[in-house]
Amino acid sequence: MSDTGVQLKDVKKSFSVVDVIRGVDMEIKRGQFAVFVGPSGCGKSTLLRMIAGLEDTSAGKILIGDRDVTDVDPADRGVAMVFQSYALYPHLSVFENMAFSLRLAKRPKAEVKEKVHEAAQVLQLTEQLDKKPAQLSGGQRQRVAIGRAIVRAPEVFLFDEPLSNLDAELRVQMRLELARLHLKLGATMIYVTHDQVEAMTLADVIFVLQGGYVQQSGAPLDLYEDPSNRFVAGFIGSPSMNFFNATVVARADGRLTARLDGQPDQSFDIAMTTALEPGTPVTLGIRPEHLVVSEGEGMRVTVDVAEELGGVSYQHGTLEGGEAVIFQQIGARHGMHGTVQTILPQTDRIFVFSREGDRIR
Amino acid sequence: MTAKQARNIAFSALVLIAAAIWIFPLYWALTTSLRSENRVVSEGAGVLMDELNVSAYIDVLSNSKLPMWYLNSVGTSLIITVIVLITGMMCAYALSQLRFPGRKALYLIVVGSFMVPVPALYVAQFVLMSDLGLINTWWGIILPQLIVPVVVIVYKQFFDAIPKEMREAVLLDGGGEFTLLFKLYLPLNWGITAALAIITFISAWNNFFWPFLVVTSESMMTIPVGITQVNDSFGVFYARMMALALLAAAPVIIGYLIFQKRVTEAVMISAGVKG
Repeated sequence: MSDTGVQLKDVKKSFSVVDVIRGVDMEIKRGQFAVFVGPSGCGKSTLLRMIAGLEDTSAGKILIGDRDVTDVDPADRGVAMVFQSYALYPHLSVFENMAFSLRLAKRPKAEVKEKVHEAAQVLQLTEQLDKKPAQLSGGQRQRVAIGRAIVRAPEVFLFDEPLSNLDAELRVQMRLELARLHLKLGATMIYVTHDQVEAMTLADVIFVLQGGYVQQSGAPLDLYEDPSNRFVAGFIGSPSMNFFNATVVARADGRLTARLDGQPDQSFDIAMTTALEPGTPVTLGIRPEHLVVSEGEGMRVTVDVAEELGGVSYQHGTLEGGEAVIFQQIGARHGMHGTVQTILPQTDRIFVFSREGDRIR
Repeated sequence: MTAKQARNIAFSALVLIAAAIWIFPLYWALTTSLRSENRVVSEGAGVLMDELNVSAYIDVLSNSKLPMWYLNSVGTSLIITVIVLITGMMCAYALSQLRFPGRKALYLIVVGSFMVPVPALYVAQFVLMSDLGLINTWWGIILPQLIVPVVVIVYKQFFDAIPKEMREAVLLDGGGEFTLLFKLYLPLNWGITAALAIITFISAWNNFFWPFLVVTSESMMTIPVGITQVNDSFGVFYARMMALALLAAAPVIIGYLIFQKRVTEAVMISAGVKG
């Protein structure tokens, strides 16, 4: 048995003349927790539904394990899906909801009972088995939806934004439960979300999608530390990375000096492998956590909004040139709202992008 | 007494008067049916309930084919109800959930069939039933009554409202279209199914004109048609006719009392669709 969980080969999807997925290749290893992340309309849910078989594939191949399932019915693909709206059957009890697929498969009664009780125990739903979905809380309903997937013992679990309908506290709790469940079951899981915190905390591997393409894939921290383009750099990390237009003014052995456009006194010395000619326009990307308040020289920021979160605060402001900037402060209240601060980037944490958005290393 | 109380009393009185006007024919039928035929003829149909003569009831129960007419009415109405619901539900499911060429045109035809007055079809239907040799048969009564667009439209509206994800969950669980219809869409719409069953049954039970046309043999008549048989060469027997009418309405009245809520719901829904 190969260690491939799910493989997509040049998969495309068009709705009449609109291309939603424009050629996606990916491999998810057996037992991995993969997360598709991206802004609304990027095609992540469509891709998940194509893997589930709920959307036809316009071109390319979808493999689950070693099996080509591109034209296989949803029920025969060995996948189970948890929907954002839970999609529980309201007229059936929790037990019957979870037993539904087994009953359709005409499994023996004893087996149905055993499997449902087993899943209910894992999800702490044993007490709720006789209730109807309407009598359950949001978190319990979500667990029933997961239980319905578990009893089918699928090769691949598919989650379509499953926590979006829960309140913030329950989301965190369910996120942890999902992580534990993955450890316990060891099954391949694919999870779609637009919430990059969920993506970062749950994933073994993240696929960042935009415009019907996978922009980058990799381990969460790899994407955070080494984004391959401006889109990924901006999408991964919260709050988003700051971007400033700059121009290369000098280069030396393995280094370059870039000056912020419109601010002749702000230039930074950055380690680079690529030799860029002086005069090349670039975009500098600096994460809020890599901008530090300086007593001496630096970029002057007028702070207009301060988000105090307790242990950390985010200061939103504008540079003298009018560019928006966010920087992070650790510790208690800083009271920077309305003040002018001087900040400096950690130059070894500056990312350089071409104006087209490609990373330059 | 405040102005509001006075208004309430006036309104209640108005409702009572309206209710009395509405119930009066029924009451009058009851008093007439409880008088002797001679008295009805000599004194006219009286308003006062001053006699409790059940001879009209005994007469229609023993001398007419009432049990047969009951059987015909119950049989044809039940078959009509079951077939109309099953075919209507399936048609609505296809129009609501399946994607096939001509789906919209088909739905427009269903909606458009509202515009055709049923009596306009009677001649053609009579000729057809005659050609098929179905005059004086249950199927002759039943077949033309099986086309009930309102059932399709109501079901479609309710099926349309079921979230797409539930359908997809069933597909992933291994279900096909029949599982979807009978284990998801139908159970989620038991309420509306009951309402549609009641309204279809009542409408078939009360249908007079078509069974009157298609049935000439007394033994195949439904109750509303049977009522017309209570006369002889000397004229109409009013007390017996009223007794028969009340006996004909009894199952519907009893049914209404049992399923009052559902009947009201059914009338509201079909009124909403029919505008």
